Amino acid sequence: MVSGKVKVTNTKGIHLRLASELVKAASKFRSNIMISRDKEEINAKSILGVASLGAEFGTELTLKIEGEDERDALNVLMRLFEDNFSRGEDS
Amino acid sequence: MSKDKVKKREMVFNGIPAAPGIAFGEAFVVNVEELPVFTDIIEEDEIEGEVGRLQDALTQTEKELSVLHETLGESMGEEHAKILDSHLMMIADEFMKKETIQLIKSEKLNAAFAFSRVIDKTLRTFDQMEDQYLKERAGDIRDVKRRVIRNLLGQKVEGLANLRKQAIVVAKNLTPCDTVGFNKKYVLAFVSDMGGSTSHAAIIARSMGIPAVVGVNEFSVKAKPYDQIIVDGITGQVVLNPTPKTVALYREAQVKFQEMERELLTLKDYPAVTLDGRKIELSANIEIDEEIDDVISHGAKGIGLFRTEYFFMTRGTLPGEEEQYRYYSNVLKRVAPDPVIIRTLDIGGDKIASWVDDSVETNPFMGWRGIRFTLSRKDIFRTQLRAIFRAAVHGEARIMFPMVSVVDEVRQAMTICREVKQDLKKERYQIGENVEIGIMIETPSAVAIADLLAKEVDFFSIGSNDLVQYALAVDRGNSRISYLYNPLHPSIIRLIRDTVQAAHQNGIWVGLCGEMVADARVRGTLLLIGVGLDEFSASAYLIPEIKQIIRSVTYDETRLLVKNALVLSTATEVQDMLDEYLRDKRPELMDFVPKGPV
Repeated sequence: MVSGKVKVTNTKGIHLRLASELVKAASKFRSNIMISRDKEEINAKSILGVASLGAEFGTELTLKIEGEDERDALNVLMRLFEDNFSRGEDS
Repeated sequence: MSKDKVKKREMVFNGIPAAPGIAFGEAFVVNVEELPVFTDIIEEDEIEGEVGRLQDALTQTEKELSVLHETLGESMGEEHAKILDSHLMMIADEFMKKETIQLIKSEKLNAAFAFSRVIDKTLRTFDQMEDQYLKERAGDIRDVKRRVIRNLLGQKVEGLANLRKQAIVVAKNLTPCDTVGFNKKYVLAFVSDMGGSTSHAAIIARSMGIPAVVGVNEFSVKAKPYDQIIVDGITGQVVLNPTPKTVALYREAQVKFQEMERELLTLKDYPAVTLDGRKIELSANIEIDEEIDDVISHGAKGIGLFRTEYFFMTRGTLPGEEEQYRYYSNVLKRVAPDPVIIRTLDIGGDKIASWVDDSVETNPFMGWRGIRFTLSRKDIFRTQLRAIFRAAVHGEARIMFPMVSVVDEVRQAMTICREVKQDLKKERYQIGENVEIGIMIETPSAVAIADLLAKEVDFFSIGSNDLVQYALAVDRGNSRISYLYNPLHPSIIRLIRDTVQAAHQNGIWVGLCGEMVADARVRGTLLLIGVGLDEFSASAYLIPEIKQIIRSVTYDETRLLVKNALVLSTATEVQDMLDEYLRDKRPELMDFVPKGPV
């Protein structure tokens, strides 16, 4: 299992459209991918789960990934957060 | 064509004309009622069936959404299509599905109930969110839930998205949700059983430039799919199964209407100036941003009344600041450099919104509405004002408070405006600095103290509908006394004259944004020019007509008409005096005399 911490850099937080991008990216991997915020933990491949995190700007999230392609998955998802889902400052 | 030889009998229905024009076509009856979810527990041997039904409903919903997705890209823009994209993903959410199936199996819940439980659990987490923008996304999840439940309950839905050829859309009532995703080119006209001239069907129709008649009692029950229909949005008549003779009559009327429309639209780029050079601002009333194109094509300069309650009421939840900010910004940008007068929430009276309060007032028109409502719900008021001041950087925004009856209300509202501006500056938001703030003049008390109110604000806009109702103490909807509702009554002319005088003596401008022009047409327009109104605001389709009237007369002669009207005793005398003038001096304007009374 690998894990990493990310921060939400989108000013509007992870709204539905970002959530769907995140789910799309996560679903490309075979590994089991969980995202946790405080005590809550959800599956990154569930849009309802991701949306219900209510992760606003600045929220810290932890990714926990387990499976054959865990390394790649962690890299891709961390990068997604780091460059704000390839968006500029906003939207 | 059906085989049976029995000829269907022609039937004529009367409703409220909500958007002008005449249309011929087949009925497309829309069924959009929502069904409740039952909490039945199922038997062991029904489990498999329920799981199958869940699967079918999800597949069906996915199909519906995919159709919407395709149509939306074209008719409503990419933004909406992206939202649907996330709706599609929700349907495909394996975890949601697993959890629902789990509930069906372990607790023996029926599929609709199990699905509701799963979604409601997610929705509860949204309730607890602090971030307003993220919280507002719950609306999307509710939307998806509604679709799936509808399909689970096996209701055959003739959604508008299924429209594949040109037809007249007939419905009991049409909500914004129902009209998302239909292909505009297939809709010839709307007819609905319920609603008034500001109902959704009416607004959509006006924005699309197609006719609509609303409030046609039980029409959606009487009209069967593929029945032939004529819709007359000018008189409010709807003819079911018309005879060839009737069709011919309406064809003639249609040609005449179209000719007049074409002629009036040629005035689009001309200014609204009287023959002796008095310039009048001509702007339009709108309820939704989709009406803007229509406003521009009809040659209005700006928006004289942007009703915001529509945006609030159609969503089921309160729109947050960000959402409002984006909505107002978009309107302001599109109308700039012309002004947009945004009226703060005017809820209550005839438009009680379910999310505010369930209590029923015995006398809503004299009740908790307009500025009275917003001053007691300062949270809602502040959010709206914040959004407007922020949006004001994108265009020429003006703010208007409805239903003012005393000076204290204006002062309180002004104080809140100042506070909101200070807060926004502290939070480092860019805001519009010189936003004019005005009030509606629609209560007789506001007219009586117009000179005092004028010292507090930047402008007045007379709301003639309510002013007529309050001044003559008449409920327009009560057929026993509705004859009293007459904007040409001497009392109304005097009230308007007094308002204009008070405004001008105090150096502020004054407009009118009611339906007086729609009701009294040329007669009302002449008097309004004559009292010295600075601005007219009306439904977009009336703009060319008003402009034509303004351009055909002199300010001096209309002033004389007002002077004459002020010494007459009855509405009939005023009407006769105006008609005589029209016949003798301006026969070319006789086309704009309304057919019936008023």
